[in-house]
Amino acid sequence: MIEVKNLVKQFKKPIRGEGIKGMVKTLFSTKHEIKTAVDNISFKINEGEIVGYIGSNGAGKSTTIKMMCGILNPTSGAVLINGLEPYKKRRQVAQNIGVVFGQKTQLWWDIQLIESYKVLKEIYEISDEDYKERMDFLDEVLGLSEFLNQPVRTLSLGQRMRADLAASLLHNPKVLFLDEPTIGLDVLVKEKIRAAIKEMNKKYNTTVILTTHDMADIENLCSRIIIIDEGHIIYDGDLLNIKNKFGDLRTVTIELRDSLDSTDCFNTFGGNVTYTLNNLELTVNFDALKVNFEEVMNNVLTHIHMKDMKIKEISIEEVVREIYKKEEMEG
Amino acid sequence: MKRLKRYIKLYKTYLERAIKSRLEYKKDAIIGIISFLITNVTSFASLMFIVQSIPSLNGWTMYELGFLYGFSMIPRAIDHLLTDSLWYIGYWYVKNGLIDRFLIRPVNSLFQVIAEVFQPEAIGEAIVGVALLVMCGSKISIHWSFANVVLLIVASLFGAAIFTAIKLITCSIAFWTKRSGQLMSTAYNFADFSKYPIKIYHPVIKFIMTFILPFGLVISIPIEVVLRGGYNAVVISIAIIFVASILSLLGYSIWNMGLKRYESSGS
Repeated sequence: MIEVKNLVKQFKKPIRGEGIKGMVKTLFSTKHEIKTAVDNISFKINEGEIVGYIGSNGAGKSTTIKMMCGILNPTSGAVLINGLEPYKKRRQVAQNIGVVFGQKTQLWWDIQLIESYKVLKEIYEISDEDYKERMDFLDEVLGLSEFLNQPVRTLSLGQRMRADLAASLLHNPKVLFLDEPTIGLDVLVKEKIRAAIKEMNKKYNTTVILTTHDMADIENLCSRIIIIDEGHIIYDGDLLNIKNKFGDLRTVTIELRDSLDSTDCFNTFGGNVTYTLNNLELTVNFDALKVNFEEVMNNVLTHIHMKDMKIKEISIEEVVREIYKKEEMEG
Repeated sequence: MKRLKRYIKLYKTYLERAIKSRLEYKKDAIIGIISFLITNVTSFASLMFIVQSIPSLNGWTMYELGFLYGFSMIPRAIDHLLTDSLWYIGYWYVKNGLIDRFLIRPVNSLFQVIAEVFQPEAIGEAIVGVALLVMCGSKISIHWSFANVVLLIVASLFGAAIFTAIKLITCSIAFWTKRSGQLMSTAYNFADFSKYPIKIYHPVIKFIMTFILPFGLVISIPIEVVLRGGYNAVVISIAIIFVASILSLLGYSIWNMGLKRYESSGS
C-alpha cells in the first residue's frame, strides 16, 4: 500500500551572520549549510492500518508527510503509494489521498463552508449519490450542519478542524494524512475528530497516518507507532510493545495540606516508586506496569492530607528520552 | 478533449466561487473598481497635461497618444482580471508555504492558482481603456483594414498572455529566492513604457521592449501599424502569437522546475 524506501530530505540554508553587517555579508556569500531533515528512513504501511507518526518538534515528521503526499520532492529515496511516486504523479495520487494540516486550512476562507465542499466535489469528480452519502456520514460523525452555511473565516478553531477533516474525506481517499489534527482543540472536539477517523477507517478501510503530540490520540487510534527523532526512525512497532519496553510511566503531583519532614514513610515498593518533596508539593513517579496504581495511591494517601492532585501520563518527548536512555544503557 | 472539457467546467466552478468571495466584500470591490478608474484617469490627465504643453511628441498628436494609451490598457486589463493571483506567489505564497494545498489536489496546480482569483477591479481599467479608444479614435484617421483589426485583436489577447507569461516567469523565481515580488513589479512596470510611442526611446529600451519584455511589440508597434503603417500587420500578428507562445512555455517550464524545489514551510 505505502512504501517508504531510504527516504532522505535535505534543505540547503545560507549561513547567516549576525547583525546588519552579517546580513550584508550573507547577501554576497554563497556559503550554505545542509540540514538533513529526514535521514534514510524506510517503512511499509498496509491497507487499513492507523499509524501514529510521532516525534518531538523538528524531528522530521511534517517533512516526511509532505513527501508522502507529493508536496516536497525527496533528495533521494522514494515514496510509493499504490506503486506511484506522489511527487512525480501528483494528480493521479492526489485523487486517492486526503490531507489535513492542523496549522493550515485548505478551505476557501471567504465563502460559506458548503460552497467549499461544492468546489471539492467538482475537483474530485464526486458523483451526486456519493456526495450525498458522504456528506450525510460526515455530518453525522462531525456535526457539520450547525456551521455549514457560515463563511469559513467565521468558524472557531474546533469547527474549522472538523470542516477541514470532512473536506479531506469527501472523496473517500484510500489514504488519509493527518498532520497534528487535534492541535489546540478542546477535549470534546478532539473526541469527535478521533471518532470520525475511527469510523472512516472501519467503514471504508481507510489507511491513516497521523502525527500528533497528544498521547491520547495515539492510545485511542493507533495500532502501530513509528517514532522519529532527528530524521531517524528510532522505533517502529505496536503501542503496547513500547509500553512494555519503556514502561507506562506516570507522574502524580500532590499538593499537601501540611508539610512533610521526609518521604521515608512511603518506602514500601522497593525501588519501583520514586518520591520527590518540594515544600508542599510531592511528586510521585512510577511505572504502572510494574506496580499497582491503586496500591501506590492508597499507600501515599494513608500518610498525608492533600489539597489537590494531578496525574500525568508519559508524553511523547519523554518516550523519546526514555528510548535514548535505554539505548545508552544497552549500548 | 475530455480533459479540456473538465477544465472548462472546473473553471466555471472556480469563477463562481471567486465571484462569491468578492461579493462577500461588496464595498471593497466597488471601491476597488472606482479607485482603478481614478488612478487611470489621473495618470492619463497628467500625460495630457504634458502633451498640451508641447505641440506633439515625435510627431504624435494628443489624440494619437490617447489612442495608444487607451489600447495599452486592454491587454493589461485582461491579464489583471484573470491572473492576478500570480502576484501572491511572488510576494507571499512561496515564502509562507501556501502552495501546499495546490499540490494535494488532482488538478493542475497552476490552473488552481490562476483560477482562484478574479479581479473585478480590472473592469475599471478596461472601461477607461475603451473610453479612450472610442474618444480619441473618432478624432484621428485610422486605417481600418481587415488585417489591422485582426492585429488589434491578436495584440489584445496574446498581449495579455505576454503580460501573464512575464508575471509567471518572475513569480516562479521565488522558488529559488523565496520571494520575487520586487522583481515581478520591476518587470511588469516596464509595460508603462509602452504607453508612449516606442520610437521616442533610447535604443536599449527599444531593444528590451521589443525582444526581452516585449510589451512594445504587443502595444506600441501594433498601434503604430494602425496609425502610420510601416510594418506588415500580418507579420506583426504572427510575431506576437509566436512570442506569446514561447514566453508562456518558458514560464510554465520555470514554474514546473520551481515546484520541484518548493520547500513548503515548517509547521
